[in-house]
This record gives sequence, structure tokens and C-alpha cells, in this order.
Amino acid sequence: MIGLENPMPRKFSKILVANRGEIALRIIRAIQEWGSVAVAIYETPDKESRHILQADEAIWLGDGPCCDYLNIEKVLKAAKKVGAEAIHPGYGFLAENPNFAKACEEAGLTFIGPPSHIVKLLGDKVIARRLAEEAGIPAVPGTYPLPDGEEGEEMAISFAREHGFPLMIKAVAGGGGRGIRLVRTERELLEQLPVARVEARRSFEDERIYLEAAIPAPKHIEVQILGDNYGNLIHLGTRDCSIQRRHQKLVEIAPDRLYSPGLTKNICEAALAIAKKVGYINAGTVEFLVKGDKFYFLEINTRLQVEHTVTEMVTGIDIVRAQLDIAAGYPLSIKQEDVIIRGHAIEMRINAEDPKNDFLPEGGKKVMVYYSPGGFGVRLDGQVYPGYVVPEVYDSLLVKLTVYGLSWKEAVDRLKRALNGFVIVGPKTTIPFYLRLIEDKDFQTGRFDTSYLDTHPYLFDYTDKEREVAKIAKLIAEIHHRGYNPYAV
Amino acid sequence: MSVDNRITKDMSVREILETLRRSKGYYITNAQRDLSQSDFKNRILLHTDLLAAPYRERAGYFSLEISGGASIHVDMLRKQVNPFLKLKLLREEMPNTMFQTLCRGVNLFGYRPYPENVIRLTVREFSKYIDVWRVFDFLNYVPNMIPVFEEVKKAGKLLEPCICFSTGPEHTDQYYVKKVREILDVTGEDIILCIKNHGGLGTSTRIGRLVSSIKSAFPELIIHYHGHNTDGNDIGRIVAAVLAGAKIVDAGDHAFTGFFGPPPILTVIDTLAEMGIKAEGIDRDAVITTSQVLKPERLAYAEFESQFKGFDPTVQIHKLPGGAMGSSFEQAQKGGFLHLMPKILLEELPKVQKELGNWWSVTPGSQILWTVAVDNVLSGKRYENPSGDLKNLLLERYGPFPFYRPAPEIYKKVFGPDWKKILEKEGGIQKIEAIDLERERENLIERLGRKVTQEELVLYLQHPNDAVDFFKFEEEYGRCYVLPPQVWFRRGGFAVGEKITFTDYMGKSHIIEIGPSHSTDKGGKATYFYIDFHPEIFIFRETEEVKEKGPTLSKEEISYLAKAGDIRAPFNASVQKVCVKPDDEVKPGDTLAVIEAMKMQTPIESQVSGKVQRVLVKEGQEVKMGERLMLISEKT
Repeated sequence: MIGLENPMPRKFSKILVANRGEIALRIIRAIQEWGSVAVAIYETPDKESRHILQADEAIWLGDGPCCDYLNIEKVLKAAKKVGAEAIHPGYGFLAENPNFAKACEEAGLTFIGPPSHIVKLLGDKVIARRLAEEAGIPAVPGTYPLPDGEEGEEMAISFAREHGFPLMIKAVAGGGGRGIRLVRTERELLEQLPVARVEARRSFEDERIYLEAAIPAPKHIEVQILGDNYGNLIHLGTRDCSIQRRHQKLVEIAPDRLYSPGLTKNICEAALAIAKKVGYINAGTVEFLVKGDKFYFLEINTRLQVEHTVTEMVTGIDIVRAQLDIAAGYPLSIKQEDVIIRGHAIEMRINAEDPKNDFLPEGGKKVMVYYSPGGFGVRLDGQVYPGYVVPEVYDSLLVKLTVYGLSWKEAVDRLKRALNGFVIVGPKTTIPFYLRLIEDKDFQTGRFDTSYLDTHPYLFDYTDKEREVAKIAKLIAEIHHRGYNPYAV
Repeated sequence: MSVDNRITKDMSVREILETLRRSKGYYITNAQRDLSQSDFKNRILLHTDLLAAPYRERAGYFSLEISGGASIHVDMLRKQVNPFLKLKLLREEMPNTMFQTLCRGVNLFGYRPYPENVIRLTVREFSKYIDVWRVFDFLNYVPNMIPVFEEVKKAGKLLEPCICFSTGPEHTDQYYVKKVREILDVTGEDIILCIKNHGGLGTSTRIGRLVSSIKSAFPELIIHYHGHNTDGNDIGRIVAAVLAGAKIVDAGDHAFTGFFGPPPILTVIDTLAEMGIKAEGIDRDAVITTSQVLKPERLAYAEFESQFKGFDPTVQIHKLPGGAMGSSFEQAQKGGFLHLMPKILLEELPKVQKELGNWWSVTPGSQILWTVAVDNVLSGKRYENPSGDLKNLLLERYGPFPFYRPAPEIYKKVFGPDWKKILEKEGGIQKIEAIDLERERENLIERLGRKVTQEELVLYLQHPNDAVDFFKFEEEYGRCYVLPPQVWFRRGGFAVGEKITFTDYMGKSHIIEIGPSHSTDKGGKATYFYIDFHPEIFIFRETEEVKEKGPTLSKEEISYLAKAGDIRAPFNASVQKVCVKPDDEVKPGDTLAVIEAMKMQTPIESQVSGKVQRVLVKEGQEVKMGERLMLISEKT
């Protein structure tokens, strides 16, 4: 239907990227390859960010932080000002905000993503679950949005008695791991309901919350899908994002490590069934929880995801470029049978965080030295550079490392080599923790689920090692500075 | 180029001794450690020894003396290398050559007696790397060496007990033969006897006669002659020793030979060859090549060569051991008493030696003699500032005087009128209580905040504070033994654009290029390096000179304050031990703390009766002269 409104595919001459950091860079690169002009936006704290330099043009939005990236009016004004024809929202910020998608459409700008009504529909996690059930796909048992006050409490208690503890309190408008609370007892449940409601209102401007049964220690498996305006819908296989901290993904893998082609196939088909049901257009991710040979629909993310790189590595398909094509009205250039999953890819988020200190971000620290690994099968998506200061007001991601290997072992070996190839001096990073993690037998053999970090506390028992050459250089610097070696005479 | 009769590491003690007895010629020990200690203030780096290693291996020495003496201490203190690791790395390059150490008996590689369990543990651990154990006692007191003897035998290593040699009316052949018998009674026959001529004393005739006397008393005994070239005539003594039947002699690589250490190997080989006596196992070409490889390195050590060039035949008068020559002049220069050296060396030192018993001037005795002589001359009041070590010597805690006791006047000066009572009550060797090794291990773990190895514990037990400093250095600066002396000892900084290349301990090559420097606005100095082609910046803040605490006090003022219970450091020192804690009751003569300076320990004794109010220092702390150590409130 929508396709008919746009019968003549045409490339956008200029695209505004409504995001920052590594994903802005990723999208700007795709736009430039695609042959269009990329426009960056930025807030004051980002005035030295690499995405500004990479873009063909850049527009300052305001002092921020974050509020300007989230300001629909300002973003649209900027797009208008530079004459952009389309907007790519990236992930986070306005990416899943149906009002933004709608505002773009109303302003005559193409929102590079699903149409606003789909963003809105799937943004409601309760509706999304109902749609899945209608498509015959099992979903994690859950309630409708709970009414405020006693009525809601009664509903919650009766759901709890039916499904048992633990339970999750979730925000209807949540997603991406945000707005989730685990409760273990009735008392906890009643205590947390009002708190969760306040938090949901504050975070998503939507105070609706609901309950979901907590599947103990599931694997988090998701399916990348692509749909065009002409009803063509394909999946690009699965990803395993089970290794998480506080519901935030740390390590992502494609394809999954379920060791069950039948199960993988069923999950992919279920993903397509739900997507078809809603008439999904553009790139999206259907998330499932998998326990044993059972899987449960969780939600659909109506946007590009951080971990899309692993799928790109094993399929050879540039997902962002596909998004541009789809948004410009081109039909999908590949069919399902053309999608061949070959090899394995692993992505790790190299964050400026202290894993030992509950992954506390190292905001404000300066990256004094940065060398990156390279070579066959190593992909880097990042905004870090020597002299980069870890922002205190944005996320602490320095660079995403994605490695490819024809076999799983090759991928893990390459990952180790690549991790060891980084030299980052200044902030603490997640690298030493990852180096410890990839030595773990359970990781190597694919035995990990969402409880992995909790059940493998020894992974945090690593030592931060300074490079030997840096230590010796320190001494040489001291000899140089003092004019003699104070440790020798 | 015959390599027949070569002695190698994998031979048993018996096989080695048989080979030695059978051979017509003689063997050579490359005394690298002693050369480094005597002529380069012990600074020759592992880097240099590793350069020479393949050639020294080929040269076919009886052994390479590469450990022991002061080297264990200096390895950690000035070269920042683990003395065990050094042996491991050299072994990789030198699979066949025996490694030799010099052990000070009960004093091990330090300056005072260690508890027996520490001695045994240390010998056990070092025996894993050391094949030949030269052991001595500065009073030639055999019981002081027995624990080391026993452990070396247990480890199946070659034992080489020493008779320390000196000159004077007491030093007769008869005395030394008796000493050798005393040793053999304890060790049995399967040993090598070392004549340890650490001063290079006596003439060639004297040494020849001594060797003959011992040989005629013990015809089967293998004798190893160790000497120093201080007077320029050790070749003469070596030749005499070999002609009289010594089977092994010490010498050094000519690229590095100086004035106070061993004489050149090549000279020994060629001199004796002309006499028809063969250096067994030796590859003469490899000896020459070693020095060719080493020659360019010597320049980097110039700073550590004696500032006084030339042989010193007056050693026959002052008898300073070769190992102490360089450091004595260095001390004199730093202490500003260089002009008094003739008086100290030629008048006071010989006098003190005779007064104190004419025993052997070697560690730790040589330090006692030197300190007393220097103090006597500088203060002008002889024996009035006795060090703790001098007191221990007089109390015969190191062992009995071999020939005679010092005169009563000296005891009176050192201990006061009650000296006889003190001597009676406190004199004689005191058994040092075994220490709790597990507790020491825990102490070390606590100080380092990590697990420790047995070898690290051994190093810690030898030199607690310096070992900890070294371990912390390694943590901060890595394994720096990979740096060449040209970098390690560089003065005046590097040139912009200079490239320093090295291979780290894991075998990875690195290039550090020195970039420009500039001052920072915060008063620091920033230097750019290109490390493996990537720029890095190093910033130094100008550190303010640490202001000395409090006004300087004179010796008189310090001793006056001590009488009032205000205990001050009598000189710049490090606190070795704090013996009291607040609220302890003390009486005059009680030891409050032990401080150390110039390798000498001095107890700080209470002069008053009272209660300890405050203790202001910790063990290991450096204190300046006049700095308050503790306060004692006098009992009224």
C-alpha cells in the first residue's frame, strides 16, 4: 500500500543523521557510499566528535546534553534548514519515538525506519505481545497494562499467583532493556509497582506498566528482519545476545549457538510471521527468549541495533544501506534464498567502564593513547581517537569490535588477537574483562545465557595489565627527564 | 683449541674432582662477579653478561663466578634485576658452564648473621641454579659455615670452602694447614679448597709456599686460588700457585679488567703455556672473542670505574679487599675526606687491624675495620663512636678472635668501665632464633599486595626493604634488564630523534623514539615519545626538594636530648627495627631501635628509665640526622 504511494524510487540527495557517536559515523559512512550527502547534528558537548568531521555538513542543535538530540522540533528544523530529504534516527534518542516518525512524515521528510504507525504499535509491548499470540507465536506470559491503585495491585497479585515468582515489572513503552524491574516476593511486587510507574513516566512519558513472567536464565535470541514497501520480507538469521549486564548487552554473536538448526529455523519463521502480521517495513529486530527447546516472543525493536554488525559480517549484507534503499522506495534486491549465513561473527563493546566496579563509566577521562587492531576479519565501528575524552553526559562506548571467522573457533581466536591488539591508555576499559571472558570454557563452547555474568563471577577476577613497553618507556622518560637513572646510581 | 678434559655442569661432584686430579694442567674460573664488584662498583649489567654468554660458554671455563658477594644486593638495588632470573637467563645461553657463587657463610649474601632456617632455605633455593659454592667466614671460623656446607652437600653441588688469606706474623703455613684440616674434618674429602686472597696480599713466593704446604699435608686436595690484582702482581701469584699444584685459578675477561679485580685470563693462559702448563678445557679464541664483544660496552660503565687509576701496591699495608677499593674511594669523595685517605689507608687502617686482632679484611670485617679507621681519623677520638657491629665483633658474636683479643683499653672505650661484666654476660656467639618463615611470607604478601614466590621470599629475607623496593619497581617499570648500559646509565638525557630499540622479556621487539619536550603551563615538563611508531606523552611535575625536617642538631645536642628521653637519629640512616611500642617500660641500656647506615647497624639505647610515649618512625623508614625517633617520659 505504502509502496504505491512512492512508485518512483529515487535516491535522497541529502540525509540528516539524528544521532551521535559510533552509530552516527556508521550511518554517515553508508550514506556517503550510497552517494548521498550526510548531515550531522550535534550538541555542544559533542562539538569535537568525530561524526561531525566525517559528515559533509553539521548543524549545531543546542547546549544539550541529550535534550537537544531528543528535541523533535529542533531536529526537524535542522533538517529543513539544510534541505535534507530523509532522516536516519540510528538507535536510542528518537529512534523508537512514534511521535518523531510521525512528525517527519508530516514535515514531508522520509523517516528511515518503519512507518510511524508501526513504530507506535510495536512500541506498546503489550500490544506487540498480543499480535504475536494472534500470529500463533508463544510469548512470555504477561498482563495487560496494570491500572493504577488497588485494582492494578489485585491484577498483579492474581497474575503472580498464577505464574509464580520471580516476575518482571516492565514499562509498556520500554525496550532495549530499559524500564525493567525484577521482583521476587509479593511484598516486593507491591512496593515496586508505584516506583516503576513513576520511573516509566519519567523515562518514556508513558506511565503504563505491566507484568511479565521471568523465564529463569533464558538465552536471548533475536532475528534481524528486512521488509520493503512491496510486501517483501526476509530475515537475516539470528543473533545471540545473552551475555548482558543489567539487561544491557555486552557481547553479541551471529548466528546463535543453540546447536539446533530446527529450533533456529522455527525462531526465524516465527519472526517473519509476526513481521508479516504487522506489515513490517524497513529493518527491525524480533527478540525471543529461549529456554531449552522452547522460545517466547519478547518484543520487536523497530530500529537499527547496536549489534547489527555481526549479522552484516555473516551475511555480507549492509543493513544500513538496505535501510536507505528501502526508504528510497527500492524493492529488496535479495530474496530469502539469497541470504546465506556463512561463518561466525562476534561483537564486543569496548566501553570506557570499570567492569570490577559494576561497569561504572569512566566519564571525563582522556584516552591518552589509542592504537587499534586490524587485519582480516576485524571490523571497528567507533568514535575514539588519541585525545578523546570519555563524555560524562553520553554513553561510554569507545568502539565496537566485530570479528568474523569461518569457524566459531577461528572467530574466538581472532577475537583474542584483536582484543590484544588494542592499546588504550587513560580510562579503564572492558577489554581485560573480555580477555578473561573469552578464555572461559562455557563461553568457548556456547554455554551461556542471560545469567552468565552472575554465574561466572570469577570473570571479574582479572588484573589490569599495563603494557610492558609502556612501563619501560616510563623509566626511559624518567632517565630522560632527570638526566640520570635514579634506580641505577 | 683442545676441549679435552672440559668440566661441565652435568658432571657429578665425584667426576669433576676426578677429572681435576687426573689433569696435568689447570682450570680457570671466569670471576666476572668479582671483576664487576672490584672494578665497576658491581654495576655490570645482565645485558652485558648476556652479550658475552655464548662466547664465555665456548671458552670452556671451570666455572663462571656470576652470583653472590654483594651482587645479590646490588642486582636488586641498582640493576633492578631479580638475581634468580639472572641465573635462569644466563643458563639458557650457557648450558654447560658451571655457575659459581660467593657465600659469606652465616652472613650469606648480606652483612650480618642470618638465622639458620633462613640460611638453609636460601642455599636450597640458590642451589637450583648454582653449581659451585665458594664459602668463607671473615674470621675463618669453621662453625659459621657449617649450615651452608650441609645444604650444599644435600643439594649435590660442589662445595668450595675457603681459607681467607692475609699476611703478618700470625699468618703462618702451619696455621693455614691446621685450618684446612679443621675444614676437612667437617666436610670430608669431596671438596675443593679455596685460598681466598681477597686483598691480593703476599708475594708470589709466599703464595707458592702456602700451596706447597697445603699440598704436602693433603696431596689429594684440589686447590683453587682466588686473588686480586690490586698490586699488579696477581699473575705472579697465580703462576706460583699453579706451579705449586693449584688446579684452578680465578681471572677475568681482559675487555673489563681493571686494577682491583682479577687479572686478565689471556695473560694467565699465555704465561703458563710458555711454561708448558696447559689451561684445560679452554678455547683461547673464544676467550679473545669474548673480550672483542665486550670492549665497546666498557665505555658505558666509565662512571663506575675507580676515579683513581692505577695499581695500588700499598694494599700490602692497608689490606683493603679488592671488592672494597672502589667503594672506599667513592665514600671518601662523597664524604669529603679524600685528602685524609693516605692517613686512613697507610696509618690508621693498619693500626686498627693490628689492634683488633689482625684477622681477615673481608666482608663484613673489612667494613668494620674501614668504619672504625675512618671514624677514628675524622672524629680524632679513637673508638669513641663505636658502631653496633664493632660492639658485636668485640663481644665475639661473629666468632672468636683467631689470634688474640684486642687490648683492654679498647673494650673500655667501647663498653665503659663495666666492660668485663658486659663481655662475660653478653659475649660469645649467640644463637639466632629461627624466624617464622610463614609469617615473613605473609608480611611480604601484605607489603606487595599479591602472591609471592619462594624465590621472592628468599630475596626478601636477605634484604627486606631493598627487595620490596625492587619488586615494586618491577611492577611499575617492568623488566628493565632488557635495556643496555648505554640507556640504563645514560646521563644528560637522550637526543631528540634518538631511537632506543630493545626486546622485552617476552621476546617482543620495541622501538622508542625520543621526541621533543616542552614545559607545560602547570609547571611540568612534557616529553613526546614514539613508542612502536605511536605517539605517547610523558609529563613530569617539577618536584619540590624535600625540605629537611627541623633544624640540624649537632652530635652533642642529640646525645643531650637522648638523656632527656628525646630520642633522635645520630646520623642519616634507615630504621631497621623498632624494638618498643608506646607504653612500654624501658630502662637505661634497653635497645629502642636499630638503625643502619653504610651497611652498619647501630642500636639506639635508652639512656633513661621511663615509659615510651610516642614512636615516630616505622621500620624501613629513612631518617635524617637529628630527626626524632621516639619520646620517652622519664620516671621521676
